[in-house]
Amino acid sequence: MKLASSPAHITIDKLTFDYGGERPAVDALSFDIARGEFIGLLGPSGCGKSTTLRMFAGLLAPTSGQIIMGGENIVSRPPWERNLGLVFQSYALFPHMTVAQNVAFGLRLRKVGKEESASRVAEALRAVRLEGFGGRRPAELSGGQQQRVAIARAIVIEPEILLLDEPLSNLDARLRDEMRFEIRDIQSRTGITTLFVTHDQQEALTMCDRIAVMNGGRLEQIGTPVEVYDKAATPFVAGFIGRANSVPATLSFGTGAPRLDHEGQALPAPGVDELPKDAGEGAKMSAMVRPHAIQLSRPDAGGLTARVIRSVFVGSVIEVELELGGGQKLVAELRPGSEEAQLAQPGADVALSWRSTDMRIFAA
Amino acid sequence: MTRFLSFISRTYVTLVFCIVFMPMAIILVISFSADSYLSFPPSGWSLKWYGTVLGNTSFMQGFRNSAIIAGVVAALSLALGLPAAYALVRLDFPGRALIRSLVIAPLVLPAMMLGLGILMVFTPAGLVATYPGLVLAHLVMTLPFSIRILQTALSNLGTDVDEAAMTLGARPLQVFMQITLPRLTPGVIASSAIALILSFDEIVLSLFIVGPRLQTLPVALYRYVDERTDPMVAVLAVLMIALSLAIVLVVERSVGFAKAFGR
Repeated sequence: MKLASSPAHITIDKLTFDYGGERPAVDALSFDIARGEFIGLLGPSGCGKSTTLRMFAGLLAPTSGQIIMGGENIVSRPPWERNLGLVFQSYALFPHMTVAQNVAFGLRLRKVGKEESASRVAEALRAVRLEGFGGRRPAELSGGQQQRVAIARAIVIEPEILLLDEPLSNLDARLRDEMRFEIRDIQSRTGITTLFVTHDQQEALTMCDRIAVMNGGRLEQIGTPVEVYDKAATPFVAGFIGRANSVPATLSFGTGAPRLDHEGQALPAPGVDELPKDAGEGAKMSAMVRPHAIQLSRPDAGGLTARVIRSVFVGSVIEVELELGGGQKLVAELRPGSEEAQLAQPGADVALSWRSTDMRIFAA
Repeated sequence: MTRFLSFISRTYVTLVFCIVFMPMAIILVISFSADSYLSFPPSGWSLKWYGTVLGNTSFMQGFRNSAIIAGVVAALSLALGLPAAYALVRLDFPGRALIRSLVIAPLVLPAMMLGLGILMVFTPAGLVATYPGLVLAHLVMTLPFSIRILQTALSNLGTDVDEAAMTLGARPLQVFMQITLPRLTPGVIASSAIALILSFDEIVLSLFIVGPRLQTLPVALYRYVDERTDPMVAVLAVLMIALSLAIVLVVERSVGFAKAFGR
């Protein structure tokens, strides 16, 4: 199937949308999208991701900044001249047309001949596994099928970029998992550059080549799923993607090697490379560590000591709530049946440790 | 206890229905009367008054005028109401909220006052007892309804589908003609039907501006009742109810009333 066509290397340059609120809804957003890439735009509601998508689609005019597509700034182009595919959360199918007419709509406007149109519609419906549904009305289809019609309608015009606006939020949990892989699969086969807007970190992690994490209208970090998960650039990213414990600590360099202390107890020693560049002696830091990175050992093993508050079996893991000397709470995830899990009895004292590479350190 | 309550509520509903429909039932019965005056129950039965109505030139002329006016009013209500509703729902302009509330002002003003005002303006303009004059006057009553119904229908449609069409390459006019308008059909039918019925039944404003040259059916009927009371009025009433009912049924059958009013 040859759907990906013209070069679609896209550059977003200081894209800003300010409707006169306290701060811009989208604030000087800049990043590049490679041809054929599947980019996730991830963030909590109100972070500006939908606003960004609407500016992409031409449904909203940016206050300033550029979107460069195929070497040309497209911000002043109306939506009908942008050649892009937009899939809405609500699917937005044309209820008065059949499935085939829905898919053929963009081709009809492009004055594609009847025969070619029919074969391209059939091809697109095959791509979304809806062969034989062409004669039905959208109202006769299930949510997942409607979703796939919307995707077929968007990809059949061979768009420069496919924009997906929370396409999975209206589906039930089981269908959502299926559609996740299906959308990714369709995208890989067609090779269409895709911008996927979601508030669900799980969706972003499992589907995207790269994730742009947004918060308060700003880009917090852009990177591969592994990068944003393991090497969070900001405390927001660390907290938003996956679970993270945040422990306040004071930095010191006593004998040369950096050291982090929390309420008089030393945290596992940080590597010099992991410290923020401008952090000096006595700086207040915040150490982030994932629940699954925390290891428990007998209290006499030395290091950070904590008391077990409670331990809950949640299936694949045991969630253990711990309290450090000063009252700081932490959550650890342990493998059921492991030696560590035996130690996690409520009220018991334990020693905590983690590898310095599992810890992210930010200025507090 | 619940059974008692359910009995009470059923009785209540039946009573309300009786109060609403009793006058119509009585009129329906009287229209088949053989008497030469209005009396209930009639002493004999016949269809002769139906024949008389059809042979009455004043009534037939009034019917023809009312039908022409109602048809034109319905068409103009749609032609003027649709762009207005579109602007009020989809476009953002200063004063939109104010205009939204002003649009329904004719509905809250006393019809007498409107009629007087219209007469004052129409007399010097030479519009009294003319088709354009009556159409304009009726539009004052029907436009608020048309705009309101179309406004509701349009805002219920949302903007997603139109925007999807736009990103697929449709220009604004193409979006409107191929996507918005077909989806708006129930609202279009409902607003046109309401305008048609309102105009056909309109009497207060018409009374101010009809003349011997041009008379509508409700005015002819009103004038006739003023002088005489025979079962012919009942026949006309029945015919007018039948006409309204037919229009309502067409709407119900084609789109469903609940849907037509955007619920």
